[in-house]
Amino acid sequence: MNRIFSFIFLALLSFVFIILQTTLLSPIHFGLFYPDLNLILIVFLSLFSETKGGAIIALGNAYMTDVLSGYLFGIHTFSRLAVFTILKGFSENVYSQSKLAQGIAIFFSTIFSWFFIWAVLKMKTDIDFNISTGAVIAQGAINILVGFPIFWIIKKTHARIQT
Amino acid sequence: MGFLKRHPILVSVIFLFFAIQLFPLNFEEKQIGNPFSRFILTLAYYPQKFVFTLTKGVVDVWQNYINLIGVKEENERLKSEINKLRQEKFRLWEAELQNERLKKILEFKETSSYPVVTANVIAGSPSGLRSQVVIIDRGTEDGVNQGMPVTTYEGIVGRVFMVGSKSSEVILITDEISAVDAYIHRTRTRGIVKGTGDGCVMEYIEKKSDVNIGDKVISSGKDGFFPKGVVIGTVVGIDITGGFVRAQISPDVDLNSLEEVIVILKYSENMVLNE
Repeated sequence: MNRIFSFIFLALLSFVFIILQTTLLSPIHFGLFYPDLNLILIVFLSLFSETKGGAIIALGNAYMTDVLSGYLFGIHTFSRLAVFTILKGFSENVYSQSKLAQGIAIFFSTIFSWFFIWAVLKMKTDIDFNISTGAVIAQGAINILVGFPIFWIIKKTHARIQT
Repeated sequence: MGFLKRHPILVSVIFLFFAIQLFPLNFEEKQIGNPFSRFILTLAYYPQKFVFTLTKGVVDVWQNYINLIGVKEENERLKSEINKLRQEKFRLWEAELQNERLKKILEFKETSSYPVVTANVIAGSPSGLRSQVVIIDRGTEDGVNQGMPVTTYEGIVGRVFMVGSKSSEVILITDEISAVDAYIHRTRTRGIVKGTGDGCVMEYIEKKSDVNIGDKVISSGKDGFFPKGVVIGTVVGIDITGGFVRAQISPDVDLNSLEEVIVILKYSENMVLNE
């Protein structure tokens, strides 16, 4: 029962994050200097949720990101699933409650996600990838800053719901 | 699931392979006949509209609080009047040039007009990769269809990309897959205005053409999407590469702070994208 509640809570949270990202925190207002709530959620899922449910929510979240940004089934879906998979693999071998591990996971995910997108665009299209390494690193830092309080809020809310 | 945990790098490489294989070369094909994507667009509409209404309400209350209401209203009225006069002035200039060109021709052909609907921009793209996408609160229920041009009083905004029943995605002209057949208003020199992600460039202008900084760029209507004579932007830079001139265009519409747009209910005649 707890697992079902947990799944429903995280799925709803994923939807709320998508709505916030498309309205108040849309990159159209902030450029690349925006906190990527959806990526932060996927890092949270990979570190703290069970594999199957987490993977389903990550897939749904990434697919919605694709649909609402005009890419449909594609680049975000695969890049975010790759982030989820790698972090899930490594989360078995690290102490994921450590703030350092969480910070590295968020930062690495931001870099990896953009690298993945860059690789696909480079190999498949002639669209210019006009996002600088500096901007990606800056976004990684912003994601860490926003990620810690989000992790804390999700954990607290999640614990309250389960009790 | 055990394989996923044991070989995360291998699984990621497989994802990369599939992403490369499935990544759409042709965006138009991908958007047709995907009811699930349209369902998601509609599903997101209500909360997006709610947040939009809420933020608009908060912003309005705040603005009314900090501004003197009378001054603000007067200011808005004057701004609106200036915009109308600018548009009117430009239209007259355009009509004058058109008249000069066509007076040698016996038959004057009026440019056809289309019905329009106004829409609010309720959301933007959630992705930094594709930030030049906005979501408007009009869909198939309002007669909006894919490919329809979107403008403001100041000029072209973009084109409807995917349509849900209540909302639609609009690809801005600054998006990298956007392309508009256009010409320089002063000299009628033709070219293609493409998005660069953060601006526009007009390409395929012949080297001998007369193009200057400050020239206005307008749609030619020959791409089948945009009506003829709508303002796109102003030339702000010129590069000469090979046999062509490449002009940097600054869109006349501030695309980063769009609030209200107009959808021209004109069905596209063909499909042309910057690919």
